[in-house]
Amino acid sequence: MRTVGVVVLALLAVVYLFPFYWMVTTAVRPLADFYQFPAPIFPSEVTLEPFSSVMIGRQFVTLLRNSLIACLGAVVFGIAIGMLIAYPVTRLPVPPAFRRGLLNWILSLRFLPPIVVVIPFFDIIRRLGLYDALGSLVLLYTVFSLPFATWMLRGFLLEVPLEIEEAALIDGASRLRAFFTVLLPQLAPALLATAVITFALAWSEFMFGFILTATQRSQTFPIGVASLVTQFQIIWNEMAAAGTVAAIVPILLLLFARRYVVTALTFGAVREKA
Amino acid sequence: MAPPVLLLAALVIYPLVYNVVLSLRNYRTGEFVGLHNFARAFDDPLFFASLRATGVYVSWALATEILLGLALALLVHRTIRSGWARTLIYVLFFIPMVTPPVVAGVIARLMYSPNYGVINVALAKLGLIDTEILWLSEPGTAMFAVLSVDVWQWMPFVFLVCFAGLQSVPMDTVEAARVDGAGGWRLFRHVELPYLRSLLMLVVVFRFTDTFRVFDHVQVLTGGGPGASTEFLSLYLYRIAFKFFNLSYAAALSLFVLAVASVAFAVLGRYLGKEVGE
Repeated sequence: MRTVGVVVLALLAVVYLFPFYWMVTTAVRPLADFYQFPAPIFPSEVTLEPFSSVMIGRQFVTLLRNSLIACLGAVVFGIAIGMLIAYPVTRLPVPPAFRRGLLNWILSLRFLPPIVVVIPFFDIIRRLGLYDALGSLVLLYTVFSLPFATWMLRGFLLEVPLEIEEAALIDGASRLRAFFTVLLPQLAPALLATAVITFALAWSEFMFGFILTATQRSQTFPIGVASLVTQFQIIWNEMAAAGTVAAIVPILLLLFARRYVVTALTFGAVREKA
Repeated sequence: MAPPVLLLAALVIYPLVYNVVLSLRNYRTGEFVGLHNFARAFDDPLFFASLRATGVYVSWALATEILLGLALALLVHRTIRSGWARTLIYVLFFIPMVTPPVVAGVIARLMYSPNYGVINVALAKLGLIDTEILWLSEPGTAMFAVLSVDVWQWMPFVFLVCFAGLQSVPMDTVEAARVDGAGGWRLFRHVELPYLRSLLMLVVVFRFTDTFRVFDHVQVLTGGGPGASTEFLSLYLYRIAFKFFNLSYAAALSLFVLAVASVAFAVLGRYLGKEVGE
């Protein structure tokens, strides 16, 4: 049994690691490698040229900036609104039916297929003159990060004992003051985890960016990656370089917050130990 | 709390109402056409083709991911004890799951394409094929290719959920069953599976929702082709709305998509509610 386990896992390691190896090495290959068939497994020489021609030559730094703005916007607004909902439902005496209804409704946003939203949204923002504007992406990313942000914050808030705030309230602090001076410092690591996960999810978003933007003025990074995949001639090393950059951001961020990721993706149903 | 909730409600409900209004009109002329756009769907062979492709995709992806993920979780749970090996497995499976789907599509492109794709090279080296397979140019193999990306990315999710579930089975229950002579299969069937049941339902709902709406990696890998063989619902709606600019017909079809997604959510409510102890 144990041998079976080890063999299966070794096989899976190949299935999972080789594709990444292939992308990263494709990104550092000189063009000459693509005229050989089959392409050599190891790059004939390592060059960073594809990265510079994508990032600078094709101006993907602009897309990186757009992604940063859209995702940070989603983080800030998502956490602020998420907190404005999560705090009352965990800390104030609200009717249980209302609390359950509200949390479920927010959760339902996770199950709303983006294509259903993007069709009317396209028509609305076009009429408002907001087509191809980063602002509309910030708005949508905020809405769609709320299920995660609200539910994560709610989970974290439930873990902070009420007594801590009550002590401050008895000492005459206002609710607002107790929130900022007592609760918020306690929640700092939780807020960071929520921010990281919100950011990474927004970073990976594709459909809204693909449909609601048209130029580099507002395209996000994944849209740029997809634009390098063309019907006629793919420039393999540049496509792979852009893909590598697009993948590194969420992988690094989420490895850092990995304790919370599965819990966040299942809305608290799975408690992660790893 | 009221202002953010109302704002959010406006942001979500307004577009949905807007969709209903759109679906009742002729998009070009703006005139009211009643249920014409809905009736039209019944005479649209491409819509049914897309529905069928989506059905094939959803069922294969769900079945494969759940069976593989569960089997693997059991295997690791039973045979791998060391802490560092488990951490390594966790990280190995974590990475594909958090890779943007667009990048997964790009990677698949690098693996399946003619000329540069390594899968053909590997198969030829193993002596399994002697002519190149044009993975993305045949309906059957193209479907296999897009499915393989989904399984590659999301089987790990099923694994991680099931693995966490298996670890939550109380040790003394397992010991008691062992003492009573339950081994391998019976231990799983009568002791562990009951613990996993609601988690598995949860996985089914999440995976159903996400495969039903699949778009990103398919757009990059096949763009819906060849022909319309991998043109799943989201891709078909995208084409109607943004290539043919018939937003009204797309809106009508999107209401159907919304209805299916709502049913999935209603099912989930039962299971998630229990889990979070609301």
